[in-house]
Amino acid sequence: MDVMSPRPDRRDAWRRRVLALTAVAMTGFVGLLGQLWYLQALEGGRLQEMSERNRIRVRPVAAPRGILFDRSGLPLVDNRPAFTLSLIPREMEDRDTVLARVSVLLKIPLSELQEALERVPPDSIRPQRVRRGLSLEEVTKLEERKLELPGVIVEVEPQRVYPTSTFAAHVLGYVREVSDDQMKQGRYRRGDMIGQSGLERVLDEYLRGRDGGERIEVDALGRPVQVMRREEPNPGAQVITTVDRRIQEVAERAMAGHAGAVVVMDPRSGDVLAMTSSPAFPLDRFAGTLERDEWLRLVRDPMTPLMNRALQSQYAPGSIFKVVVAAAGLQDGSLTPMDRAYCNGQFHMGGWTFKDWKAGGHGHVDLRSALVQSCNVFFYQAGLKVGPEAILRYARAFGLGALTGADLGGERPGLIPVLPPARPRPARGWQAGDTVNISIGQGRLLVTPLQVARMMSAVANGGVLWKPRLVQRVERADGSLAYSSSSKMAGQVDLSPAVWAFLRHALTGVVNEGGTGAAARIPGILVAGKTGTAQSIAKSDASKGQDHAWFASFAPADDPQVVVVVLVERGGKGGQVAAPIARQVYQAIFLERVAMVVLDGDS
Amino acid sequence: MLRFDRRLLQNVDWPLVAAAFFIVGLSVLSLWSLAPVRGGGALAWRQLSWVGVGVVALLVVVSVDYRNLVRAAPALYAVGVALLLTVFVLGRTVSGARRWIHLGPFSFQPSELFKLIFVLTLAWAITSWRAPAPSRGAVLGMLALMGVPFLLVVRQPDLGTALVLVPVAAAIFVGAGVRMRVLGTLALAGLSALPLSWFVLKPYQRDRLLVYLDPFRDPLGTAYNVIQAKIAIGSGQLLGKGPSGATQSRLAFLPERHTDFIFAVFAEMWGFIGCLVLIVAYSLLVLRGFEIAASTRDPRGRLLALGVTAVFAAQTLINLGMVTGLLPIVGIPLPLMSYGGSSMVVSLMGLGLLLSIRMRQFH
Repeated sequence: MDVMSPRPDRRDAWRRRVLALTAVAMTGFVGLLGQLWYLQALEGGRLQEMSERNRIRVRPVAAPRGILFDRSGLPLVDNRPAFTLSLIPREMEDRDTVLARVSVLLKIPLSELQEALERVPPDSIRPQRVRRGLSLEEVTKLEERKLELPGVIVEVEPQRVYPTSTFAAHVLGYVREVSDDQMKQGRYRRGDMIGQSGLERVLDEYLRGRDGGERIEVDALGRPVQVMRREEPNPGAQVITTVDRRIQEVAERAMAGHAGAVVVMDPRSGDVLAMTSSPAFPLDRFAGTLERDEWLRLVRDPMTPLMNRALQSQYAPGSIFKVVVAAAGLQDGSLTPMDRAYCNGQFHMGGWTFKDWKAGGHGHVDLRSALVQSCNVFFYQAGLKVGPEAILRYARAFGLGALTGADLGGERPGLIPVLPPARPRPARGWQAGDTVNISIGQGRLLVTPLQVARMMSAVANGGVLWKPRLVQRVERADGSLAYSSSSKMAGQVDLSPAVWAFLRHALTGVVNEGGTGAAARIPGILVAGKTGTAQSIAKSDASKGQDHAWFASFAPADDPQVVVVVLVERGGKGGQVAAPIARQVYQAIFLERVAMVVLDGDS
Repeated sequence: MLRFDRRLLQNVDWPLVAAAFFIVGLSVLSLWSLAPVRGGGALAWRQLSWVGVGVVALLVVVSVDYRNLVRAAPALYAVGVALLLTVFVLGRTVSGARRWIHLGPFSFQPSELFKLIFVLTLAWAITSWRAPAPSRGAVLGMLALMGVPFLLVVRQPDLGTALVLVPVAAAIFVGAGVRMRVLGTLALAGLSALPLSWFVLKPYQRDRLLVYLDPFRDPLGTAYNVIQAKIAIGSGQLLGKGPSGATQSRLAFLPERHTDFIFAVFAEMWGFIGCLVLIVAYSLLVLRGFEIAASTRDPRGRLLALGVTAVFAAQTLINLGMVTGLLPIVGIPLPLMSYGGSSMVVSLMGLGLLLSIRMRQFH
């Protein structure tokens, strides 16, 4: 058959089918006209009325951010309701006039308001948050002129409050409005407050919760007529940290006026009880609207207040490192407690002269008194006996020069150098002078205060190297557990019990037997520790003599419960600057025991 | 490529052209009247430039013999499927759906173009079988052929376009004389597979579809569009509020008002009388299209004309049904009216196909 020229009856059949389809389509159009007649003619009046008072607002209801608690349940941060100025682009018919009025009323630069609105579509019904932290006075001004300010509303949002402006700033971290860069990740909505550093950042997913919202109908005056739909916010989860608020406060107070860091750790569990970095930055300034200038000032401050010195700054360990040298020598058998040397204040080797910190020297010393007096000359010789390979091996075993894996981001690893291979021929890269240098913790060694705290914990607890713990658990608002962590061992330092005992005994002497750490001595508490003075790497003459002061310690020496590590940048000698700070911390921790001793002494 | 016969010009279907460009004119006018809400003027100008591009595309389509296009259908099909696949590789995700290919400053929606390719392919397939009416096997074969691009479109997801393809295919099958029993079986099978498909989809796909189905893409705004569109249309009453009084549209309570919901803007401004005129124009367009299909002898031409008309009719009816609250909301532009380059250009190309068939009817 020929499809190309259909027979007449086929053509008729085709026409009939097309006609049927046409009828279907036309029925559709007629039906539409019917619906339009219903809507426009019959219902028109009612719908017209509805369009008159048709003002719908979408109000986001911010979820309160989760609270961070210390180990005994005291809040480290809290929320309080704060007023936020928001603009609804869609309701601002005469945008320039309204913005000008707001600008004059609240003394906000007009450009700032315009900038905030440029980022959202002009017909958005979602309020755009423009400025946080309005004062009650400012809110009153806005409310009084409400009628002249269509599209301007004041929202109430929970906002972070801190015990003091800088309290535990580096541990907690600051919360700030999501930046343009972060918006690109697609996880946030504009105006979201998110954790930008510290625990607030690491735990942001838990803390943030989920915002709710409501769609309300408002009348011409902006008064809510009815809530059309409401979704409750889902509050953020609560975080129970390992921090002890009281110790943290004391540590911060003790560091006031110094640059540096204090780490307080429980050697029995690796819990971080306190961690301060000084100078700190004002947390509360970030919660509101931070002025651009102020932000730049913080970022460019030569004292780098935003940096967490406890784990982001790297320093030479100085004489603290003698503990590692002693441990290495004793365990490998290259040193014994009976080794003696005569210190005249100088050590000559290959045409070089290495000096002791004490002019004239310490006279006759043995290993223990060399630790107690921090005698360099003794350790120059000891280091050569032990050898660089063993020293660096034990340094690594103590966790130096490696990330501790603490729950805070941005940790720096420090540095323990790798020896160049001894064969095929002795390499030029490492010389005896380098060994002499690292024997007293100078040279190419870099550690962080947190690493030192972990090392001291290992000395105190007999070899367990903890992964520092800052977060115990995270509990959702309904009480269920979102996250929990127990103490985790990161490694083990294998030394014989006799060596541990010797080290603890020697470190007790540093504080209690007229050693370099005498300034940390407290009646009633047996503190053990080691001072250190790290040469700063500054090359100019002006910064010479401004060495970093270390004091790494634990107490009570016979039953270690806390490790306190203090670093004061450019503070001078460890024994003079860092040890007294540690003393203040111990006094607060063992307040009751100290008080008892004082009372006993009185009676 | 152009062997243009002057005699062809005598057979231009002027009522069809008039109806189509009347609607295009209303589109630009409606966008223009949105001008006081910032950006309306720019929208109108851009729409006008798309109309310009569309007219060029229309003239190109008209100058090519549609029979060559039908012959080229397998190649076009391959290109169309390739473009749909490209979307998944190069496409940018806009509100949860990948539908656009971006070429410099322009973006282009392959699923729009595929509507025409779909019709061309079906016309080619049916006439290639050279039987008075496609058998059951042939119908199944064609369904398989169409199934691939259909699923690709669904996966983007562009449910609206996919939804248009179903009645279009049905209309073409009816026109081709497929037995009612076969069609009925197919319809039943399709309906019963619909709920099953929900369970086949992966959770994220379900979410996407739900987000897609939720026009405001906002957890708070499920029923918002429908209500606002109804208020806009109804408040236009009999005579409309005119461009300056259309508070619903101008105060922008109406979402998507320049694209899928443009009819609501129009209805608020011009009332029932205006709507009547617009719907008459659309009816005229569809009537002329079916008339061209009915009066064409060439089976390729008449199936093509039927299919293209069905695309217009289905899209118009589904869009208007959705905006007036008769149908659930899916994203479908109103042909020749909604703002958007791909839709406008493809609609004008469809018009070009109808004109081309009409002009070559008596050769």
